[in-house]
Amino acid sequence: MTSGSVTGPGTGEDEPRLVVRLEDVRKEYGDHHALNGVSLEIRSGEAVAVMGPSGCGKSTLLNMVAGLDRPTSGRVTVHGEDLTGLNETGLALFRRRRIGMVFQFFNLLDDLSALDNVALAAQLTGTPARQARRRAQELLDELGIADRRNAFPAVLSGGERQRVAVARALMNRPALLLADEPTGALDSHSGEQVMDLLLDLNQIGQTLLLVTHDPRLATRCANRVVDLADGRVVGERSLERAG
Amino acid sequence: MRAVWQAARAAVRRRRLQTSVIALVVLVSTMTIVVALGLLDAASAPFDRAFARQQGAQLTATFDTARVDAAQLAATAHAAGVVASAGPFAQAVATLDRPVTINDAGPVTVVGRADPGGPVDRVNLWAGHWATGPGEVVFSSPPGIGGEGRRSALGAQITLSGVRFTVVGLASSVSRTADAWVAPDQMAALHPSSAQMLYRFAHAADDRETAGDLAAVTGSLPPGALTASQSYLSLEQRAEHTPSAFVPFLMVFGVLGLLVAALIVGNVVSGAVVSGFRHIGVLKALGFTPNQVVAVYLVMVSVPALVGCVLGTVLGDLAEQPLLRQIFNGVDGTELGDSVGLSPWVDLVALLGVPALVLLAALLPSLRARALPAARAISAGSAQRTGRALRIQRRLTGSPLPRSVSLGLGLPFARPGRSLLTLAAVVLGVTTVTFSTGLASTVTAFGTAAEGGGAYQVVVNAGRADVGMTPPTHTAAQIGPLLSGLPGARQVTPSAYVPVRLPGVAQGMNLLAYQGLSSDLGTLVVDGRWFDGPGEIVVSPGFLTLHAAAVGDRLTLATAGRTEQVTIVGETLTGDPDYVSTDWSTATALDPAVTPRQFLVKLAPGTDAAAYQRAVRAADPGLHPSGKDTVNAGAMTAVGSASVLSLLLGTVAALGVFNTVVLNARERRRDLGMLKSIGMTPRQVTAMMVTSMAALGLAGGAVGVPLGMLAHRLILPVTGQAGGIDFPASMREVWHPGNLALLALSGVALAALGALIPSRSAARVTIAKVLHNE
Repeated sequence: MTSGSVTGPGTGEDEPRLVVRLEDVRKEYGDHHALNGVSLEIRSGEAVAVMGPSGCGKSTLLNMVAGLDRPTSGRVTVHGEDLTGLNETGLALFRRRRIGMVFQFFNLLDDLSALDNVALAAQLTGTPARQARRRAQELLDELGIADRRNAFPAVLSGGERQRVAVARALMNRPALLLADEPTGALDSHSGEQVMDLLLDLNQIGQTLLLVTHDPRLATRCANRVVDLADGRVVGERSLERAG
Repeated sequence: MRAVWQAARAAVRRRRLQTSVIALVVLVSTMTIVVALGLLDAASAPFDRAFARQQGAQLTATFDTARVDAAQLAATAHAAGVVASAGPFAQAVATLDRPVTINDAGPVTVVGRADPGGPVDRVNLWAGHWATGPGEVVFSSPPGIGGEGRRSALGAQITLSGVRFTVVGLASSVSRTADAWVAPDQMAALHPSSAQMLYRFAHAADDRETAGDLAAVTGSLPPGALTASQSYLSLEQRAEHTPSAFVPFLMVFGVLGLLVAALIVGNVVSGAVVSGFRHIGVLKALGFTPNQVVAVYLVMVSVPALVGCVLGTVLGDLAEQPLLRQIFNGVDGTELGDSVGLSPWVDLVALLGVPALVLLAALLPSLRARALPAARAISAGSAQRTGRALRIQRRLTGSPLPRSVSLGLGLPFARPGRSLLTLAAVVLGVTTVTFSTGLASTVTAFGTAAEGGGAYQVVVNAGRADVGMTPPTHTAAQIGPLLSGLPGARQVTPSAYVPVRLPGVAQGMNLLAYQGLSSDLGTLVVDGRWFDGPGEIVVSPGFLTLHAAAVGDRLTLATAGRTEQVTIVGETLTGDPDYVSTDWSTATALDPAVTPRQFLVKLAPGTDAAAYQRAVRAADPGLHPSGKDTVNAGAMTAVGSASVLSLLLGTVAALGVFNTVVLNARERRRDLGMLKSIGMTPRQVTAMMVTSMAALGLAGGAVGVPLGMLAHRLILPVTGQAGGIDFPASMREVWHPGNLALLALSGVALAALGALIPSRSAARVTIAKVLHNE
C-alpha cells in the first residue's frame, strides 16, 4: 500500500496533536453504569486498543467518541470539537468530517456495489458522483480489491467486505478511524489481512481507536492498550508492536 | 396450541407499532368500506329502499265518509291479500295561508294521525316532533335538497282553512300520503269529509295485481265510497323519471372507496407477514411446526385486525348516517334522503369481509414462509435484492441528484410487490382526487348555469288572495312599471304559469310564459335556441325523455276548451320535466285571462338587492320579493360531499404509504444506522425515505390523473342521462394544463404526507443500537 491518498489529517506534525479527550465520562442505562468516570486522551498518530471482557463498556466508549451516543455526564472532545454540545445534525456532520468507522459486521449497503458503497460517504457531503467514484477507485486500488469494485456485498468474502468498509471509512480523510471488533466476524486469514491493513494505515499516520477483546489484534495494531472493567479504566500500557 | 397463542401474543406485544398500524389501517379501511357500502346501498334503487324502510303504502285509498263509516273501513284490513293496513285516518283538504317549505300557499291535504309509525307508511320524522297537541302540525318536507335549511320552518305560525297552527315537525312519506299531519282530535276543526286507508298486500308487483287488490278491499263497500286511490307503482314510475343526477358520481366514490380500502388492508397485512420472515425462521428453529408458524402469524395479524374491524364498523355506522344525510340532504329527490339508514348487510359484509380479506392477505405470504427452510426464512428477513433493483440503483448512483434523493429513488425497487400495492393505492387516491376535481368543476359550472348565472337578482311574487295572502294594491299591468321605477332596477320581466296538458297524458304540466325580453335571463340552451315568437317552446332534457320528444317536434298543448300547436325549438341544460317555457302570446292563446304573477328583476351593477326588496315591500305590501339564489345548493353539496369522500379515501391511501415506509424503515434499520454513522444527517434520512414514496406518488399521479379524467368522461353522460342533464362541452372539458399539473403533483403530496411521520421517525433511529446488534 502506498501512502498519500489514504491518510487523513494529522500527519507530518512535529507535536502530536490531541485528537480525542474524554473527561470523567459516565453513561448510565437505568441502573446499569456502562461507563463510570472514564477519562482518556488519544494523540494524533496513535493506535489505541480498548480491551476488556464483554459488557465492560468498550462499545459504549466507542459510541461516545463516534458521537453515536451521548454521555450521561462528562465531556467528549474530538479534534477540538465538544460533542456534548452538538445536536443530531451537528453530530452527523461531525461524523462525516472527522471520523471513519469500521464495524464487526461491515454494515455495507447490499444494493450498492463495492465501489458505490465506498463512494457513498463522499457523495453525502455533496461531492459529485464522478469525483467520488474516482477517489473510491483509488482507495480500493490501495486496499487491494480494485478488481472487486463492481461486485455486490453478497458475493464478497468477509475479508473483502471489511476492506470495502475500511475504504468507505477512509473516504473523507478522517482524523480518527474507529474500529469495533473489526476482525470479529472474519476467518483467521481474512483477520490477518485486516490487521495488516490497519497497521499499515497507522504507520502512515492514521490515528486509530480499536475496540476488541482479541489480544492478537491489539498487540499487532496498537501501540497503547487501555483496559476497561465495569465501565472504568483499570489499566493502560504501551506496546511494542508485533508487526 | 398454547405455544402458538403465547408466541402470537409475544409477537403482538413486541411489534407494538406494527400492531397499531394494522389496527389503525383496518379501522380506517373498515370505516371507509362501511361508508362506501352505505353510499352504494343508499344510492342504488333509492325509491325501493326508502319504500321498504318506511313500509310504504302499496295502495293509498281515500273514502267518502258520507258513504262509509270507520268500522266498514277498518274491516277492509281483513280483505283477501291484505298483509298490513293503517287507518282509517280522517282527511281534509285545507287552505294554507302561506308557503311552508315545499308546500305552496293554497290547498293542502291534511291527515289526522296519532303517530308517525305503524304497520304501514312509517313516516320519516326528521325534524322536530310529532303533532300530538292542539294547534300542532307536522308538514311534509323531504330531507332532500336544502332539507336542513327548512328546519327554520319549525315554529312557524300558519293557518289551515282559518285555523291557527304551529309547525312542530317536518316529516317525509315516500308514499306521499299527506301534505300535513295533525293529531286525530284536531281534525274536527278542519271539517274532514274523507278518510284515508293505507294497505300492503301479499301480491302487488304490477298494475294488474294492484287493481285486483283495490277491488278486494273495496268489494264489500258501498258503491261510490272510494273517491281516490294511488298505487305505489305510479310513485315508483315517477321517481324513476327524476333520479338524482349525482347518484352515478356517488357510486363511483363508493366503488373507489372499496378498492382503496381492500388494497391497503392487503398491503399492510401481507407486509407485516413478509417483514416477519426472520421471526418465522426463528420459530421453526425452536421446533414450531410449519402449521404452527402459519397459525402464529395469522393470530398475530388477526388480533389487531379484528379490533380494528369491530371499531371501524361501529365508527363507520356512527359516521355513515350523518355523512350520508349530509350528502343526500343536498341532493334532489325525496327518495334519496329517505333511503339513508343503517343496513345490517353492510355491517355484516364489513365484519365478515374485512377479516376474510385480512386472513387471505396474511395467508399467502404465511404459506410461502411455511414452505421455507428455517435458515432461509431467517436470512429472508432483509429486503430482497433483485437484479433490476441493483441495476437501477447503480444508474442512480451516477446521477447528479443529491445522494439521499438518488438512494430514495432506488428504494421502491427493493420490494417491488409492496411498492406496486402502494402505487396502486396512490393511483386510486389520485384517481379519486382527479375525478372529484372534475366533478367539482362540472357541477359548479352546472350549478351556476342552473341558477341563471346571476342574470337576474330579485324575484317578486304577487300575493294571491284566494289562498289567504295579501293581494297587491296595484294591478298586474301596473306592477311591471312600478318595479322598473324603483331605484336600481334595470330590467323587469313579468312571467306567469299556465296549467296545460298534453292530450293523452294524464299528468298535467305548466307553461312558463315570459312577457318581453327573456332570452337574457341566464337559461342555458344546450340544443336548438331560445324561443323567438308565438308557437315556440323550450323544454328541459327531462321533458324530452319523459315524452320521447326531440327538438324540432311539434306538440299540441291544451287548456280547458283551447288547444295550441307548438314547436320545440330548444332544450335547456336542466329543469323540471313538467315545465315548458314560451312567450306571452302563446300563453294568452291558451289562456286569454293569464296575468303576470312573477317578476324577474335585473338590478344595475352595485345595487343592494336587499335594499331593492325593502323598496318593493314598501311600494306594495302585496308584492313578495326574494333574492335569487346564485349558488345551486345541490351542486354545492355534491362538491362538498365529493371533497369529504376524497379526503377519506386520500387518508386511507396515505395510511398505506405510511405503512410501507414503516415496514421499509424497519427492514432497513441497519442500513439507516450505517448511513447515519457515515454522516447522513437526520434531514437527509427523512429526504431519502420521503423521496422513495414521492417517486411512487409521481408515478401514481402519472397514472391516476388519466384514470380520473377517464372516469369523469365516462360517468358524466351516465349522470346526464340519470339526472336529465345534457352537459355542454364547456362543462365536460374542465381540464387545462395548470390543474392537470397540480393533480399530478397531488400523488406526490399524498405520498409525501403519508411518508413524513415514519420517515422522521426513521431519521431518529439509534445508530449504536442497530449497528452493534446483529
